[in-house]
Amino acid sequence: MVARVLKRSAHYSVLGLILVVMVFPLLWMFRVALLPSGSSLSLSSLFAGVITLANFSDLFQFNRMGLFLFNSIFVGLVVTLSNILFCFMVAYALSRYRMIANKIVFGSIVGVLMIPAHIIIIPLYLICLKSGIYDSYFALILPWLVNPIGVFLVKQYLESLPPTLEEAARVDGASEMTIIFRIVMPLCKPALSVLAIQVFFTNWNSFMFPYILTQSESVRTLPVALALFQGHQAIDWQHLMAGSTLAVIPILLIFLIMQRQIVSGITAGAVKQ
Amino acid sequence: MLQSRLNWFWLTLPWLFIFGLFWLFPVVYSLLLGFTNYRLLESGFDWIGLANYGRLIADPLFISSLKNTAIFVVGTIPATTVLSLIMALLVNRKFKGRAIFRSGFFLPSITSMVVIALIFTNLLQRGGYVALLTEMIGLNTPENGFLLDSSTALLSIMAMDVWMSVGYYMLIFLAGLKAIPEELYEAAEISGAGPFRKFFSITLPLLRPVMLFIVVVNSIKSFQVFVEIFVMTSGKFDTSTMVYFIYSTGLTTHFDLGYASAAAYTLFLIILAFSLVQFFLIRRKEAIW
Repeated sequence: MVARVLKRSAHYSVLGLILVVMVFPLLWMFRVALLPSGSSLSLSSLFAGVITLANFSDLFQFNRMGLFLFNSIFVGLVVTLSNILFCFMVAYALSRYRMIANKIVFGSIVGVLMIPAHIIIIPLYLICLKSGIYDSYFALILPWLVNPIGVFLVKQYLESLPPTLEEAARVDGASEMTIIFRIVMPLCKPALSVLAIQVFFTNWNSFMFPYILTQSESVRTLPVALALFQGHQAIDWQHLMAGSTLAVIPILLIFLIMQRQIVSGITAGAVKQ
Repeated sequence: MLQSRLNWFWLTLPWLFIFGLFWLFPVVYSLLLGFTNYRLLESGFDWIGLANYGRLIADPLFISSLKNTAIFVVGTIPATTVLSLIMALLVNRKFKGRAIFRSGFFLPSITSMVVIALIFTNLLQRGGYVALLTEMIGLNTPENGFLLDSSTALLSIMAMDVWMSVGYYMLIFLAGLKAIPEELYEAAEISGAGPFRKFFSITLPLLRPVMLFIVVVNSIKSFQVFVEIFVMTSGKFDTSTMVYFIYSTGLTTHFDLGYASAAAYTLFLIILAFSLVQFFLIRRKEAIW
């Protein structure tokens, strides 16, 4: 009995210690975001009761935070919606039509999965520059309209779905368009929601390509703006952490609501026993 | 038949378009660029064969970026793998509050890398919380903070990277643990195996495919470390990595695009060789089983 209690409390204290290490930096961020500008960041002031939202309103008033938030949300939504549509379309073609060319398309998907993205940094920059989409929303959106992992995910799901419903609809004389978008696509909702979260998260947090492919403030996304605040502008930690908080909160909310889909999306590719 | 061919065509068209324009073309384009001395701000260029690659080998910044990337990969991967396995084992069995621990551990891995890097820039600076902690334990603490010192900057960023990604790999390990049939453990218990025996004879061997997956994914990611270097040190204090080198030579000051492309292809070949070796190792092990 005593041994069991000891063992259990040891288990909890190890876990508790890890939890503190894992969440402290994020809690620190939230706390500093609420401290008045210019105040000290020492432990005692973290625990003192002073709380203000002034940093947030300052950011919107003086640092164009509204614009950066809008850019992140706009680009994130467009990329997510297009991935839902296009990944589904490609996956449908690959799993429902018997074509010799399927092999080529599938090969290209696996190929891109294996190509490390750094190889396209320089050429993508040049392509955007020469085609005139550099420094516009197009540069932030066009290259990411459809992604190979997404096609993979939906294809796997479609193949586990028996085509009975489609065949019945075909017998009833439904057009191919109706079958694809009104019958099969809604059935793929579980896979498509996993896909949507993954794409949105990746896009929302993405820094390198948005930074490389733009330069003006008007198309800057939130992570780029945050990184440049620190590099080029005199901004204090309270404001910087308030901006960071704005970048974390949407992700945190989606995570709390849709934890199950997020976890299944992560483990889908990894464990196939 | 023609109808279904047509359907197939327009359904795959978005992918074919994106693939051709933003993947296939760039991959070929940068290979060719690597054989030129093309710079953005100069008109015209010459084909210079392998000269860029020769220049890379003689470039001390490239060599140190290569070295730092190797240190990063070799240092973080064992730490991340072992720690995430330990964390998975700790939260695998049912107990009160398990969901809170799991979510808490996972939280850093869905947070933006820029945000994490900003937070740690403060925590690691002179008089920051990490310095307070190391001084308390009596460890050697660099005078100007951890990021402004060549002996600690890269190590600190590596530690942060491990901290950030363990939760993600913990989830993958958890899925792997769930796939191990319970009967195996029951049978082992009947034949008198203790917890250590069970771990080394059942858990670890059966987790091997998952572990290899984690090592492959994590190493490809670590070879390309960039954001944290950009935000935290801008490649100073001996922290430049391969992708940071590509960025700084190709897209800053001289816009030396041909040279940067050659560096990008070098990294590509290293990653490819690395993946192939791992691929064949996995294959062979499966054949033995």
